[in-house]
Amino acid sequence: MSSYSELIKNFEKMREIMREFYVYGFKSREDYDKKSSRSYDDERRRLESWLGEHMRFVRNPDGKNVFISIDSRVSQHNPFYKTLKAKSFTDGDITLHFILFDILHSPEVTLSLPEILEQIDVYLSHFQEPMVFDESTVRKKLKEYVDLGIVEYERSGKKMLYRRASTPDLPDITDILNFYSEVAPCGVIGSFLLDKQDEKRDDFGFKHHYITSAMDSGVLALLFEAMQKKCVITATNTSRRSDTSKKLRIVPLRVFISVQNGRQHLLAYQPEYDAIKSFRVDYLSDIRLEEPTPRFDELRDRLTDMQSKMWGVTVKNDRFKNARTEHVEFTVRVADNEEYIVNRLEREKRVGYVEKIDANTYRFTADVYDVSEMIPWIRTFICRITDLHFSNYEVEKQFRRDIEEMYRMYGIKEAEA
Amino acid sequence: MIFNEIYSAYYNAVAKIITAVLNGDTDEKHLNKIVCDNAFGESMLTVLPSLKSGKWQLVRPDMTTPLKHTPTMPLTLLQKRWLKAVSLDPRVKLFDVDLSALDGVEPLFTPEDYVIYDKYADGDPYEDEGYIERFKTVLTAMKTGQNIRLEMTSRKGKTVYVRCVPERIEYSEKDDKFRLVTSGCGFVRTVNMARITKCRLYSGDTVIESEPPEAGYEDIVLKVSEERNTLERCMLHFAHFEKRAEKADGHYRLHIRFQKDDEPEMVIRVLSFGPLVEVLESENFKNLITDKLKAQKSCEL
Repeated sequence: MSSYSELIKNFEKMREIMREFYVYGFKSREDYDKKSSRSYDDERRRLESWLGEHMRFVRNPDGKNVFISIDSRVSQHNPFYKTLKAKSFTDGDITLHFILFDILHSPEVTLSLPEILEQIDVYLSHFQEPMVFDESTVRKKLKEYVDLGIVEYERSGKKMLYRRASTPDLPDITDILNFYSEVAPCGVIGSFLLDKQDEKRDDFGFKHHYITSAMDSGVLALLFEAMQKKCVITATNTSRRSDTSKKLRIVPLRVFISVQNGRQHLLAYQPEYDAIKSFRVDYLSDIRLEEPTPRFDELRDRLTDMQSKMWGVTVKNDRFKNARTEHVEFTVRVADNEEYIVNRLEREKRVGYVEKIDANTYRFTADVYDVSEMIPWIRTFICRITDLHFSNYEVEKQFRRDIEEMYRMYGIKEAEA
Repeated sequence: MIFNEIYSAYYNAVAKIITAVLNGDTDEKHLNKIVCDNAFGESMLTVLPSLKSGKWQLVRPDMTTPLKHTPTMPLTLLQKRWLKAVSLDPRVKLFDVDLSALDGVEPLFTPEDYVIYDKYADGDPYEDEGYIERFKTVLTAMKTGQNIRLEMTSRKGKTVYVRCVPERIEYSEKDDKFRLVTSGCGFVRTVNMARITKCRLYSGDTVIESEPPEAGYEDIVLKVSEERNTLERCMLHFAHFEKRAEKADGHYRLHIRFQKDDEPEMVIRVLSFGPLVEVLESENFKNLITDKLKAQKSCEL
């Protein structure tokens, strides 16, 4: 029977579990019927260990619910980053790591593998039952560190000489790390750098700060890597809603990040359909970089052109591969002291244009691939929408029905209006 | 690539323990505090015992170490590439840091590789030299614990002069704006950085009485429909608040706590879900929604 550890080997498993705890906080032990109860207990215990102060418990007739609740305006650093610092390792890994960097303590120290092995034995001779590292283990570890960029090598005749990589001479970057570790893609890397800083000063706070994307950092980094190399990738796309997985072969073109719902989508070319499509980054896993494609620049340019018709992440083509757009326009009334509403229209619109009809009426007009993506935004103008037309009549009908439903829901009768 | 033990909390804790041991600090209480500060809730049960027992052969039983140097690790390629990517962002100018040492490093991503498609268009002027200078002055004041004197334009267009304690800088990704949270100047609590027209360190004799601002909170309960994937959309949309969801009969009840100054914004955010989300509590919040709907009804759409 394996014993419990707060460290894990495979992050992918926990990625899903954490999302369940964070996004759907209402699940109890019984809801995790797919997994054994022991596995549930271990996973919950790990989460408590990593995110203790943010875990909450509620008892109800269905049992005890465990969930994660975080006010990210109060937390200065993304608590989920901790979960990416819980990779398991062997006793040999950690011992070898610190001894190797003690031996290669400066970039001036250059040693061959036999010399390193000899020195390792000296370090270990201080212990009663010294570990034994054979040549192949140490060579493998050095190779791993060369790939990570922390060890360099050079050939000298038949010998391979190793040394620690030099670190660029950077000034104090604490402010940069405090800020960008929270707002830049793959911010957890900034958090790794912050861990090495002695100074813990932090002058920044964040509002409208979505933190779940931390769990997708590994996937995102690989997608960026693929874009830098202009590569095709293969990936597994698992819909959490239908619980089905599909293998994809796509060309990643650009990541679309939302700061209004925290979701991240990959816009990618899918040769199978000869179309650019969007994929939720949190649904992607098993990313593998394949061969570079000469079409990358052309496909990315195509996406850039399409962006002038995209409100969100949806791209629509008809069967002849022509982009098909939908027309939308709505007018709002603006009182004399409500200039901020016009400002809202101007700064919140992503495409389209705003025109003044008269002193108290403004019209927004756009042509987009999917008008339904705009509905939540249009609803934020409820209280002043005087007219509305969509070329997609079904969506317009639904919008009007929804407003009627809201009147009923809140008991608003004709006479009150 | 990212999930690697060399970035792990345990490795960080061990590096700090070895540093302490090299400095002759072998007090177990202190070493355990290092573990608590750098690792996880139950790490105390593993880290120090593994070192003391020789499971990890880095510290001898007498709490000395055969290691001779304070543990350090060079920046990994991934870290350099991420920093290089950050150096391409326009906001980096606010920090007055020379990152030319990263010349020749391939960025992990470029501004072409991603787009924040729903941030508002009137973000702060990061290219404006005056704005950059004022931002730097605020940052310097906070680092050195000094007060500042501001000249700013109010919402009504009036010029206002304020002496205050800069508490923290708050950034909104949605608004793409920095706000300065202050104390010690009564009515002015939060100032949009872009509204500041002059900023100087205050070296006068007047003592600014200040207490860090405390946020007031408001609680609401929403009834969330099971239709159109609303629960997931709603939970993600409000993910950055303290919240709790529970199953009810044919729907979900979502409890959200938010800072009072977010109330007007919360009203329109709840409205954006249409009839799929209904406000159950508080009465005050419900009335705000109802008022909007009554006004809408009068528009005769």
